[in-house]
Amino acid sequence: MPYQRFPRVEILSIQPQEIKFILSESDTSVANTLRRIMIAEVPTLAIDLVEFHENSTVLNDEYIAHRMGLIPVRYQPAESLKGSDCSDAFLPHRECVCYEHCMRCSVEFELDITYKVTGEEDVLAPLTVTSKDLVSNNELVQPAHFLSQDEQDEAQDEGVAIVKLGPGQRLKLKAIARMGISKEHAKWCPVAVATYRFWPEIHINDEQMATLTLEQKQELVDTCPDRILELDEVTGDIRAVDNAWDICTYTEDLKFAQAAMKKRPEDDDFVTVTQSKDRFIFNVETTGAMDADEILLSAIRVLRNRLNYLAQELENLKDM
Amino acid sequence: MNAPERASSFLLDEDSGERKIVYTTDTKVTNAGTFRLNKEDHTVLNLLRMQLLRDPGVRFAGYIHPHPLINYMELKVQTNSSHTSPTEVLSNAIEDLGSETDHLLKEVQNAMENWRKENQDVLGN
Ligand SMILES: [Zn+2]
Repeated sequence: MPYQRFPRVEILSIQPQEIKFILSESDTSVANTLRRIMIAEVPTLAIDLVEFHENSTVLNDEYIAHRMGLIPVRYQPAESLKGSDCSDAFLPHRECVCYEHCMRCSVEFELDITYKVTGEEDVLAPLTVTSKDLVSNNELVQPAHFLSQDEQDEAQDEGVAIVKLGPGQRLKLKAIARMGISKEHAKWCPVAVATYRFWPEIHINDEQMATLTLEQKQELVDTCPDRILELDEVTGDIRAVDNAWDICTYTEDLKFAQAAMKKRPEDDDFVTVTQSKDRFIFNVETTGAMDADEILLSAIRVLRNRLNYLAQELENLKDM
Repeated sequence: MNAPERASSFLLDEDSGERKIVYTTDTKVTNAGTFRLNKEDHTVLNLLRMQLLRDPGVRFAGYIHPHPLINYMELKVQTNSSHTSPTEVLSNAIEDLGSETDHLLKEVQNAMENWRKENQDVLGN
């Protein structure tokens, strides 16, 4: 293992629905692999088959089946409070030995809602069928109705809206959720956002800076639309603001402004802002199917398993 | 009708004897060969390529994805000497990446644990 790196991770914040962290001492290939795996290869549960018994709603069967697929489904182990990695608890349905589906490879949801009319109502408002109306046959697996308490407080409905019923209409169905990855269909994607940004390296050239007057320095500070620079009132020096890494968007305004300020065009820049090649700011938001920290851990395990598999296949190749 | 299988981008077609990795030695260039990685994409290939390039024993490493609808990648590797084969350097690269991933997992777990300790009062438990 002569060319191995030892990446470092700093957590900025962890919430059930969002995680922010810094990955450093690694490179873009690792950051990008992590991002791509979180988006497309972390296994989750999603409704994949829907059996309609009765549907007198305004939406057709396929339309409702599609909407059901997009409801985030959450696996929460008995002793845990988190939406967790479901890959140890379920078998991929293609590997299961059962005929169609069973408890090992799927979860069944039942839904039966009728808009009953007694004749005594003054107003007949539509009735919304939501994810709350789905009855699971596995208590560890439930639809994720809301991302957070805040979202729930603001919502009009009890859960994720599926269809609205008019008086006398009925929707009765059985839905089967299976484990999958979002390479197959985006409904299995556990993340709403998975991005990384490059850490900005802000270098201030003190020698060049000494040739500027206080007014010119202030002009330079005001040029940057992100306001990543500030003027020290005591010493009159320019420095980067503390949260420059968070607000920097690499605009070119600073570059152009200082080109005009320089005495000679070949002089060094006063301030240079470059993208770090080995430090990344990650931001991951979930759909509700899994907790954000679990997605990150799961993604790393997926990568580890893939590398093991490739190493094994390569060994087999040598033997041939 | 002619829609591809839903899993055709990530599950090996074992019925038709598809293997994960197929290696062909280059007939024109010395110490070189091409790996065909079935059902893989940029996720792993770019990682492998960058790790191979970090190895001074590797003269060339590059990959192509022949077409967006084709589910394999071709990785071309040339080494510096006849003592090390492309298979060997690739094997080393995967091993290094494996230990890097192990390290990353531990690092993330530690960082999360420390963050929770430091922010206990914020979390309110
Ligand atoms: Zn089964």
